[in-house]
Parts: sequence; C-alpha cells; structure tokens
Amino acid sequence: MMPRCAVLFSALAILLPLSLHASELRPADQPIEQVIDHYVDALTKADEVPAASQTGDATLLRRLTLDLAGRIPTAREARAYTESTSASKRVELVDRLLASPDFAFHHRNELEEILLPNRRNDGEFRKYLLWAAEQNRRWDDMFRDMLTGNEDDEYQKAALQFVRTRIRDVDDLTNATSVAFFGVNVSCAKCHDHPLVEDWKQDHFYGLQSFLSRTYVTKQNAVLEKPFGEVKYTTREGVEKQAHFMFLTGANVEVASLELSGDEKKKLEEAIRKAEREDNAPIPEPQGDSARGKLVDVALRDGDNHFFAQNIANRIWQRMLGRGLVDPVDQIHSGNPASHPELLEWLARDLVTHGYDLKRLIRGIALSQTYSRSSEWSSASEPPRPEYFALAPARPLTPRQYALSLLVASRNSTHWDQDALQQPDRWRQERESLENSSNGWAGNFEAPTDGFQIAVDEALLFSNNDRIQNDLLRDSGDRLVGQLKAIEDDQEAINTAFLVINSRQPTDEESSAIREYLAARADNRPEALKQAVWALLTGPELRFNH
Amino acid sequence: MTRPGSYFSGSNDHGLSRRGFLGATAAGAATFAADTRLDGFKSEALAAELRKQNKNVILLWLAGGASQFETFDPKPGRPTGGPYRAIPTNATGVHISELLPRIAARMQHTAIIRSLYTKVTDHGGGATLMETGRRPAPGFSYPDIGAVVARELGRIDSQVPDYVSMYTSTEGRRKGTSGFLGARYSPMFLAENMVPENIRRLETISDIDHRDRAALRDVLAKRFNQTHQSSTVASQTTAYHRVRGIMASEKLFDIEQEPEAMRQKYGPLQFGQQCLIARRLIEAGVPFVKVARAWWDSHGQNFETHRELCADLDQAMSALLDDLAERGLLENTLVITLGEFGRTPNINASLGRDHFANAWSCSLSGCGIRGGVAYGRTDEDGHNVADGPVKAGDLFATILSALGIDPESEYYLGSRPLPLADFGSKAVKEVLA
Repeated sequence: MMPRCAVLFSALAILLPLSLHASELRPADQPIEQVIDHYVDALTKADEVPAASQTGDATLLRRLTLDLAGRIPTAREARAYTESTSASKRVELVDRLLASPDFAFHHRNELEEILLPNRRNDGEFRKYLLWAAEQNRRWDDMFRDMLTGNEDDEYQKAALQFVRTRIRDVDDLTNATSVAFFGVNVSCAKCHDHPLVEDWKQDHFYGLQSFLSRTYVTKQNAVLEKPFGEVKYTTREGVEKQAHFMFLTGANVEVASLELSGDEKKKLEEAIRKAEREDNAPIPEPQGDSARGKLVDVALRDGDNHFFAQNIANRIWQRMLGRGLVDPVDQIHSGNPASHPELLEWLARDLVTHGYDLKRLIRGIALSQTYSRSSEWSSASEPPRPEYFALAPARPLTPRQYALSLLVASRNSTHWDQDALQQPDRWRQERESLENSSNGWAGNFEAPTDGFQIAVDEALLFSNNDRIQNDLLRDSGDRLVGQLKAIEDDQEAINTAFLVINSRQPTDEESSAIREYLAARADNRPEALKQAVWALLTGPELRFNH
Repeated sequence: MTRPGSYFSGSNDHGLSRRGFLGATAAGAATFAADTRLDGFKSEALAAELRKQNKNVILLWLAGGASQFETFDPKPGRPTGGPYRAIPTNATGVHISELLPRIAARMQHTAIIRSLYTKVTDHGGGATLMETGRRPAPGFSYPDIGAVVARELGRIDSQVPDYVSMYTSTEGRRKGTSGFLGARYSPMFLAENMVPENIRRLETISDIDHRDRAALRDVLAKRFNQTHQSSTVASQTTAYHRVRGIMASEKLFDIEQEPEAMRQKYGPLQFGQQCLIARRLIEAGVPFVKVARAWWDSHGQNFETHRELCADLDQAMSALLDDLAERGLLENTLVITLGEFGRTPNINASLGRDHFANAWSCSLSGCGIRGGVAYGRTDEDGHNVADGPVKAGDLFATILSALGIDPESEYYLGSRPLPLADFGSKAVKEVLA
C-alpha cells in the first residue's frame, strides 16, 4: 500500500488546469532573472510577506560557488571577489563558474542524484553524464539517450544504464522514469486508481508501463525490445483490463506489434530467452516500432511536453533554491499546484523555446534577486514560509558537496593559489582528482531528505575517526593546519582559517574566542590550531549552503 | 605525548582558565538546547508522556528463517512434524518444541503467534516486509520497526544511542533502514567488534582537548544557529552535543562489567553475550536494540541445525527474560522473537526445510503482552493457517499497541499522511495485556 497522497485539494471542486494561456505570461524575450523576480515579488507583495534583504558579497560568492561548482570557493577566489570593484562582478562570476570545468562535474553529480539515486558511483553512467554536462547537451537529447540510446555508441550505451539497471523490476522502471523525467510519482496508481489524486488512474500507471514492458536485457547487457507485448492488469474490482500505450496527458499512441504466427512467435520468444541467459546466443534483430522511442516522442511533443519541461525546470529551481515551485518535486498534478504557477509555466516555455538549455536556466536563476536573498532571519516576527522564496534557506550540503568542500578547506590554501593551476586544463585535472578523493568521504554522509536531520554518527565520525585526525587535520605542510602553524601571529592565522573555511573575515567576537582558546593552550600551539580548525570544519557554516 | 610541564600534568593556572572557557560555553549550549525541537509531526504532549514511561524493545532476529515446527508450533507424529517432541509449558494447554525447555518454563511472560501469513519467501523481500510491516513501494523508503520505535520513544537529546543493531555472523547482516525518517534514526551498528565505530576517543587527542574543541565549536556555531532557525540546522549541533554521552555509553558494551555468574546465565556464545549487552543498553535507556542470530536457513540438515541454534536461543532468551524480570524491566520491555519467514512443512531430500511464509510463528514477551497465550492456529500438518491469519502489518500494529503507540497515528511525507502501521492493519488484541 502507498502513502495516501496530497489531501490539500479536497476543497477544490474545480481543478486548476496545468497550462495557462501563453498570452497571460510575461513576454518571452524578457531576461529570466527579471521574470523570476517579477513573479516572486508579486506574490510576497500581494500577501504582504516580509522578505529578507540581499545577502553580502562573501555569502553570495560562497552560495554561487557551491551551486555552480559544487564546492566552497578557494581563498584566492574569495579574495578576488570581495576585492573586485567591477559593477558587473556577479555576472562575471556566474559566467566564469558556468564555463569552468567545475560546473560540468557538479552538474553531473546533481543529475546523478535525480537519475540513479539508489546506485551512486555507477562508473558507466557517470561517464555519460560528465560527457553530456561538458558539452551542455540538450536535456531532451539526454532523455532520448537514456531511454533509447544506441548500443554501438560509447556514450549512449552508457546512458542506457538508466534502463539497464532497473529492468529486473518493470514497476520500478516505470515509476523511476515517471519521477525523474515527468515529476510524477505514479506508484500510488499501481494497485488502484489513485485514492486522492484525481489525475492518476491505473490506466496511467499501466499506460506508461506499456512503453517499457517490451524491454529486455541480454546476457551481454544490451538493452533491446521485443516487437510485441501488451500489459494487462486487474482492477480492484477484479476486472482484467488491457492497458493502452497512453502517456500521462491521456494521449494514446499507436505502437505496432509484429504480426507473427504462433510458431514464429514461439521461436522468437525462445531466441530472446536464450539471449537473456547465454553469453554467446545470437541477438534477435530489432524489428518494428520501438515502444520506448514512442514514449520519448509523445513526451516531447508540442501539447504533451509540459510534464517533461516543467519537471526539469522545477528540479533545477529546487537545486538552486532548496525547494521546488511544485513541492515535493515528484508531485506534479492538479491537486498540488505550484506556488508560482505562471513562473513555472514561463520557465518551462523558455526551456522549450531555447533548446532545453539547462545552463541558460541555471544562469537566469543565479542572477535573480530572489536567489541572492539573505538566509539570516533575526527579526522577532515569524520568518516567511518557504514557498514564498523570500528568505534563502540554509540547505544541507549534499554528501558530495560536503566531501569536496572539506577537501578544499583542509588543504594548504596556497596550493589552490598557484597560477599554473588556474589554466582550465590543469584545473580540470585537479578537479578530477578531487572528485576521486571525495568518493570515500562522501560515502560517510547521508543525502539530504525532506526535514533532514543530521545523525549523531556524523558527529561521532568527526569527533573520533582517525581519518579526520590524520588526514584532514594533519599538520604537515600540505594541509591547512600545517600552513597555520607556520604563521606566527595568532590573528593572522585566525583570519586565514576563516577565509579558507568560511570564505570571510572573522567577527571580533569570533576572533577573541579563538585567541582565548589559543592562549589557554599556548603550551602546544600546533595542537590548539588543530582543534580550532576542527571547530570550524565541523561548524554549521561549512555544513550548510546559506 | 605527556611530558612534564605540559598541560597534561596540569598547572593549576592553566586548568582554571580552561574551565572558565568551558563554563561560558555550557550556558550557551543550554540556551540553544531549549530551542531544539524535533518537529511538529505529532502531539507533543502525547509524545512526551510516552517517553516518560521509558519503554523499550529488544528484537531477537532469527536471520535466515527459523522453523516453526522446531520452535513454537510443533506437529509431533505428523508426516511434517520431524523427530522432535512437543512439551507442555507452564501455560495450560500450550505446547512448544522440546528444543526450547527453558522458554517453556517461562511462558507466563510470552505470547506466541502461530498464524503469520506473509507470503514473501525470499530472504531480502521477507526481511524487508517483516522489518517495515509493509511491502516496498517504488519511490518510497519506509522506516523499519527499530527506526519507528526510536522515533516514537527516543528523546532528541538522549545521551545514549536510540537504535542499536548487532550482527556479526556473515549471513545475518542487514543494515535496517530509517527510510524517510532520515539518518537521525538510523541504527548504530556493531558489525566487526562488540563496540560501535567511532565511539572511542583516539589516543592522539587528550580528553580535555576533545572536550574543549567541542565547546569552541559551540561558541563559533552560536550566531549561525541563532540566525538560521530550522530543525535541520539545529540537528547538527544536537548531534555534536550527544557525542560525549554516546561515548560515555561505551561501557554499556563491555560485558566484563557484569558478574561472572550473570555472564554464564547468558551463555558463552556471542548471541548470548549480545543479549546481555542488549539488556545493559535497555537499562540505560536505549529504546530499541536488535540482536541478530544467524543462520537458520536450514535447506539441508534442518534438525541438526535447529538442535544447535534452538539450544542457544533457549538459553539466551530465557536468561534475558529472567534478568529483565528480576530488574523490574520486563513490564516496560518488549522482547520480540522473529525472522523473515518460517520453514516448509515438507521435509526435502536433504532433510531440510525450505522457505515458507504461509503459516508460521513468532513470539512476543513482556511489555504490554498477555503471557501464556498462543494465538492463531495452523492446520494439522502446518500447511495453512486454520484460524486467525496475521499479516506483517497486523504484527507491526500489535507491536506498536503493546508499546502504547497508536498504530493509526500518522507520519507526513510532505503533505501525504502515512499511518505507522500499514493501511488496514489490525492489532491482535488477544495477545495484548
């Protein structure tokens, strides 16, 4: 049995249409950031919700670097940004980060969480995602690669891991496809029409499954399709029904089945079974329509593409702002409207008309005033509710972001300062080795969920694990602790530690707390510096993107 | 590291100034703790009341699937019954296998359910079903019984772990999952050693440095925590505040601290020792402890396997029940004996029994349980449930009810309500006190 789904709309007799009229939206040629701010501000004004002010340079740099590069900024980057007097330094920063090798790695890591969350570090799939991210491959093309990729192409074959790793459970494949690409969790409609979401019937679940149920994988791991096969299911009332090839929009699709005599069919089925089981069995030639191909076609077709476009717009929005315009992101249906429906509609339309260019969307969000609000709320009044996007949330870092950031912060910062390293090719190598080093660390942390709570295991790890002590906190010259040890003046050491770990200068209060700590431990300054670095590495400022 | 004149030999002056530093911080931490609330899922008053009662669970997990014929539902003299006899227990009319004589003498604490009807017969699927009380659904990750109990009965600032899971035999390793409840309720594991990971301070850092740096962390985190009020942000500092308490609980894992006579009661084997650790943990306030005993998967030599494993179970479980009763802990501690499924009535050519989930048994003892009861009935050869089928969700509801937790209360996944026990589940009232 499933959790019952949204009850919110019970009072709504009339369901909101998913599509508004294009003419009611802001002009298509307005910059994305302006459109975002227009809609977000309109709602806060209408509801008289107070909004946080714009955040400062240091925090903005940090947020942008975490969101576009997946790591904290280096000390060099922090200095350069705060010292720059350029009027367009924010745009320059965003464009630099988006063009940097870091972006591709980070984008790859984020897409992996959406597409293969239960199978992290699948080498093949990561190879494909990085390749696609590095050329900013169109999202619709990526969808096609992942569902219908060509087995003879190195990268498309890797993309098919999306299907290949799930084919043993066609229910899982059905729901995963629907969740990842259409933002619709249809699993509730498997056993019965969805009890609380009017939109989803068993016909939808099995309609979608029809496109996927012909798929099989050979012993050699080739993803193929049978040229026939339909899905049958039983309703709650015990009536057996045959599913149609039907998309979530209700669009029915013609998918041909190969007409075969009983004998021919038996023969082909036998050949397929053999190919599934035996290494050297001949692979049956693909024939006729590809049902998965038909699914891709209908999902991208004008008039039926709003699930596909809104889903990715909503997920990118969630990545940058901590919460979807439709929230949760797998619940796009008429009973769970977006907080800002016109904005989602506009962003989806913009994606469609600009070739599903995700980088363009990310850039637009990054330049909006909505994105750069402060995350601090010290006023006595209640903070605004998250769906207003009037206050930036403190978002727990993903395991990968946290691991990368710990590795960046614990290095002697002069390492990152080297001029030679600033060349894109060199930096790419550096980033790649950083990614590799982060694999083990990332495995220690939990991926954030709704209402995420940090476990005591994490605090125990930082408190008592020897890798923290002997690797991150090592006092050799290549580590931050070693670097600080060589700085004679306490305040200068404190300033360096703050810049490296928190990308800012310490407040007077913070300085004096650490100075006091160092003074109390003057008999062993290196040890004291180590503990001060520990206290900063384990702090909320590094744990959260704020 | 220790050298004369260093901090470790302790000049008074030095010690004083550091204490001052700590004192200032402790006040900050206390203020912070007052803001720390888990979340608003449920009635806080009710939750607080439950926590006060200090109820606990010990799950004895019979990994691989124990045979109901050789444990709680013997069929002596039937073609499916195998060689062992049934013996009377101290509860009138209730007979169990002769392989469990000590448990038979303690049936006043225990209710048997003989009519589990759960259908799933692969190890992974069966274990998931029995641990979470539901079939898995694509797109959702459900918490297991340990995480639910930790969530419902644990205290956020608890100084001890709230879910400890022990396994050491290779095949018994299942991590368990806190699912959508999140990592806060994930079990603390004992896999390689008898002591959890990262619970002991490294020798390369002194105790005072370990303590002081945590205090410094609090000072530096204060401003951020005050200006970013969310339960997620607060959870990080709560986690760090729990570290010292959890470290202090290391001694709970040390059975050397128990008298020799007590250790002998539990037996020399690891399972018995882990049961003793479980009792020590429960006594210290840990709400949920799972002890896994593997490997009951007797496809061959079923009767040999059960003779050995049942002797072990009989000793450890009866020692545990006695010990809990003598300490007055049994009325607040529920002991569950359960696996992923039972075993087939038919005895195969290797004298084994295979996987079977249509009519099998488990037991519940202690907290909230009516002892001396055998609920449900299988047919004379044990092929089917003849009376009172109990599904996984029903067992889940029974366990929660025994602990005073309403099985119909709900979690919210976003806006989606989900009852603690699966939709339509019913507690087995006949086994509840």
